[in-house]
Amino acid sequence: MLEGAEFYFNVDHGYLEGLVRGCKAGLLTQQDYINLVQCETLEDVKIHLQTTDYGNFLANQTNPLTVSKIDTEMRKKLCREFEYFRNHSLEPLSTFFTYMTCSYMIDNVILLMNGSLQKKSVKEILVKCHPLGRFTEMEAVNIAETPSDLFNAVLVETPLAPFFQDCMSENILDELNIELLHNKLYKSYLEAFYKFCKNHGDVTAEIMCPILEFEADRRAFIITLNSFGTELSKEDRETLYPTCGKLYPEGLCLLAQAEDFDQMRRVADHYGVYKPLFDAVGGGSGGKTLEDVFYEREVQMNVLAFNRQFHYGVFYAYTKLKEQEMRNIVWIAECISQRHRTKINSYIPIL
Amino acid sequence: MGSMFRSEEVALVQLFLPTSAAYTCVSQLGELGLVEFRDLNASVSAFQRRFVGDVRRCEELEKTFLFLQEEVRRAGQVLSPPEGRLPAPPPRDLLRIQEETDRLAQELRDVRGNQQSLRGQLHQLRLHAAVLGQGHSPPVAATHTDGPLERSPLLQPPGGPHQDLRINFVAGAVERSKAAALERLLWRACRGFLIASFQEMEQQPEDPVTGEPVTWMTFLISYWGEQIGQKIRKITDCFRCAVFPYAEHEEGRLGALQQLQQQSHELQEVLGETERFLSQVLARVQRLLPPWQVQVRKMKAVYLALNQCSVSATHKCLIAEGWCAIRDLPAVQQALQDSSSEAGVSAVVHRIPCREVPPTLIRTNRFTASFQGIVDAYGVGRYQEVNPAPYTIITFPFLFAVMFGDVGHGLLMFLFALAMVLAENRPAVKSAQNEIWQTFFSGRYLLLLMGLFSVYTGFIYNECFSRATTIFPSGWSVAAMAIQSDWSDEFLAQHPMLTLDPNVTGVFLGPYPFGIDPIWSLAVNHLSFLNSFKMKMSVILGVTHMTFGVVLGVFNHVPTNRALFRGQEAVQSALVVLALVMVPVLLLGTPLFLRWRHRGRSQRKPAGRQPVEAGGWRESGREEEDKTRMLDSSDASVAGWGSDEEKAGCSEDGAGAEFVLSEVLMHQAIHTIEFCLGCISNTASYLRLWALSLAHAQLSEVLWAMVMRSGLGLGRKLGVAAVALVPVFAAFAVLTVAILLVMEGLSAFLHALRLHWVEFQNKFYAGTGYKLSPFTFASEEG
Repeated sequence: MLEGAEFYFNVDHGYLEGLVRGCKAGLLTQQDYINLVQCETLEDVKIHLQTTDYGNFLANQTNPLTVSKIDTEMRKKLCREFEYFRNHSLEPLSTFFTYMTCSYMIDNVILLMNGSLQKKSVKEILVKCHPLGRFTEMEAVNIAETPSDLFNAVLVETPLAPFFQDCMSENILDELNIELLHNKLYKSYLEAFYKFCKNHGDVTAEIMCPILEFEADRRAFIITLNSFGTELSKEDRETLYPTCGKLYPEGLCLLAQAEDFDQMRRVADHYGVYKPLFDAVGGGSGGKTLEDVFYEREVQMNVLAFNRQFHYGVFYAYTKLKEQEMRNIVWIAECISQRHRTKINSYIPIL
Repeated sequence: MGSMFRSEEVALVQLFLPTSAAYTCVSQLGELGLVEFRDLNASVSAFQRRFVGDVRRCEELEKTFLFLQEEVRRAGQVLSPPEGRLPAPPPRDLLRIQEETDRLAQELRDVRGNQQSLRGQLHQLRLHAAVLGQGHSPPVAATHTDGPLERSPLLQPPGGPHQDLRINFVAGAVERSKAAALERLLWRACRGFLIASFQEMEQQPEDPVTGEPVTWMTFLISYWGEQIGQKIRKITDCFRCAVFPYAEHEEGRLGALQQLQQQSHELQEVLGETERFLSQVLARVQRLLPPWQVQVRKMKAVYLALNQCSVSATHKCLIAEGWCAIRDLPAVQQALQDSSSEAGVSAVVHRIPCREVPPTLIRTNRFTASFQGIVDAYGVGRYQEVNPAPYTIITFPFLFAVMFGDVGHGLLMFLFALAMVLAENRPAVKSAQNEIWQTFFSGRYLLLLMGLFSVYTGFIYNECFSRATTIFPSGWSVAAMAIQSDWSDEFLAQHPMLTLDPNVTGVFLGPYPFGIDPIWSLAVNHLSFLNSFKMKMSVILGVTHMTFGVVLGVFNHVPTNRALFRGQEAVQSALVVLALVMVPVLLLGTPLFLRWRHRGRSQRKPAGRQPVEAGGWRESGREEEDKTRMLDSSDASVAGWGSDEEKAGCSEDGAGAEFVLSEVLMHQAIHTIEFCLGCISNTASYLRLWALSLAHAQLSEVLWAMVMRSGLGLGRKLGVAAVALVPVFAAFAVLTVAILLVMEGLSAFLHALRLHWVEFQNKFYAGTGYKLSPFTFASEEG
């Protein structure tokens, strides 16, 4: 695409951008969080949320209120907003939206496969699936026994099909293989999304590429962290790293060799972006976890995305911010319902 | 009538409501709509307040109401708004309403559930019947011979005894939108171990939930092998297909079909019965729901208002604070007494002093409302500020008319507005929902005056649809000129332009009695004459208008003379008026005066007190103590009865506490320069009167010349002209209304608005106040 999106961006996407900025203004404020933390019961949470943009989204819920009901309703609300954006979008924004849903679709597929491995009923799993990643063929996932089966029979018509190229194998799907499949799918998804944004150029590339680079590196770190003490070989581990991040290629090589958290930290020390994050991770029980630190960084990047105009990143950023907000509300609600107030303040503030 | 010139006197009042009668008192106040409650619990979050439980119960009820309302709407019926006055129900009635609503909702849910499940069953039966009845070509015959038999040896595991393969069937129905995807998935997943035939259903069964017709496809899948069967079942599950048993033989299918038809007959009867019962329940809901909705809304509003009150130390009464017009105080007192008489202890209201600026209250009627609206759109006046609205009633239509002057156009506008005014009490006109119509309708009196004034200025300009009218004989005589200067026929033929010389006796007989002489419309210098006339007129009008504004600015300070002592800002603005006359003197004068004033006051301060006005103002020596108590008014109000009387205001200090001469000097200089420049540029701004009135005159002139005159000159024969004039006049009329009345009218309106807001009101009107918005049930009843 040509440079200078500002000349024609609004013709196709101006309405949606305006809308998403309006939606972003409806995110909970610091004051809202302070009030939420003071709540005594979930009913109080509900009353407080009623005064925000959530409105009476819980009005039709029968008592007693539970955290999962709140979570489901919040997801539905986000999903409604997202569907609205998507239905009103034009190319290439609609492709961008499709890419956004892909990550949820991957999660859902993996969830269903794990479920069928553990012989749970499909309905039980379906309620856990993220509504943004729903698609028709989803429930048929459990008829597949090998990844190629899965690809050929079920997913070949979905947007997920291109990501399967690297993961076709005739292995039986056991728990480890599903996890490998998950990571490989996600890797090729991230790389494809990255390529899409890069090719799109303009402000979208300037905003989205750093976000996706960070996402890729975060996955690399998390994969490494989770693989300590498992049977995953170092070579296998390296094949799972998404290659579109800042860590590629040297950092990923080093990460593949890492054997404990300190070695990982040493790898991160080479990168100015990640050093402060690892420094912020506190040792012992009082400090932040690596995940929290990453979440904070993500929130920061997403908030900054709103400083530029005429790009698609705002949609991505809004969805991610909203998800973080939902995680925060669920965290607070959990703390309230379990009467475990000591940690109630460790939500991720959205500034 | 005095209330129109300034906002009414509003006082901060404290209401002591005995706990037992608080509810009735507040609900009575809601009916009256006189008091604006202040939130005394601003620091308390919504769910920690006293009556949060009651509010929650009301909300629960509203939730149920919403459900009932939705059900009524789904049945295609409407709820009529309730009639008569419905006071907020006493709190104990809430239980009764709740019980009845719950019972009604439960009944409705049950019936609705029954109906749903019956419909669902019927839907399934229909689908089943359709699957059985659809003549899918017998798959057995077709498949046994060719395809599968040839292929199966290749695909079957070697040695598999494929001779005794049993062919099984899965039959069912699927929504058409999913059929293609289903077929493809089946094919891909089972690799040709099956044969599926799809067929569209003839009738479109209604969806049991939404009630909309949906097209379904029936399908028949024949397959080999149990594993494939399981896969197929999983896939059909995933596509939400309805799968039915399918007998292999024709007779079995026919038998099943007959059975199905009988079942569906029975079901339909039961369904009819259920639906009759449902409509009975709905009728009950329709009758009961609207009054309840209003009542519960009122109840919730009362509890929300009560949530803003604080509790007295003894818990015997609630203390509310609010703004109330002084004129309404007796009415409020009376209402409180009436509604608390049962409780034994009477609720009382009394004024308390306050330092905050009270809200603005200007009562309007249907005539003044639109003019007040023009002013309020710019900004709500400060408390007791001079209200421009009464002057706007005359000046606005007048300035509009200066730009819109034309007898014909004005008359049309006047008649349109008159029609609206005469029809204003008709319910059809009142309840019209069209937004554009509502805008015009709410400004009908404004339009009426604008039309009237346009007629007047039209007479002055002597223009009626751009034509001059000769009401009085013209002041110029052409005949006298012709006779005096012996114009021969030849001379007249050679000279298209002739000059009338007023110095020749008998030519100029004296000025035209009213407005512009019609003879000017014949003159070639008509335009330049009008130009100079209109320009001078605009400047004169502008200067007059602005001077009037400046004079009003004086009144902003004169009656509330005490304000002069209150702060330097007020003093400054008052003196600015004088500064116009002697700018250089006052550039220094005001600050020096202020300094002198400041010094004088600081010396006088310990001794002097302000004169006592109405209410609870008392002399008090313990000024300092009271001040500190004032700072924490919520505490003070809880503290008890006695202290309120002593809380004398300390109005004059505070603002005047700090005085920096250089700053005042600077402000003064800036203010002065700004004002002088403003006056010049504002005067120039009034030239828009000239420009727009000229534009209007020229536009209507052009329209006349291009359309009507060419139409009139079409044919000399009577018949031709008459026929041609019909469309010509139609075009003229449409263009007149569309361009000259609507478009030009809007533009003149806009400019008149600007002249009022910017040029007129900035001379005296700050508009930084806020409206008194009393607690009222008006919105709950609507």
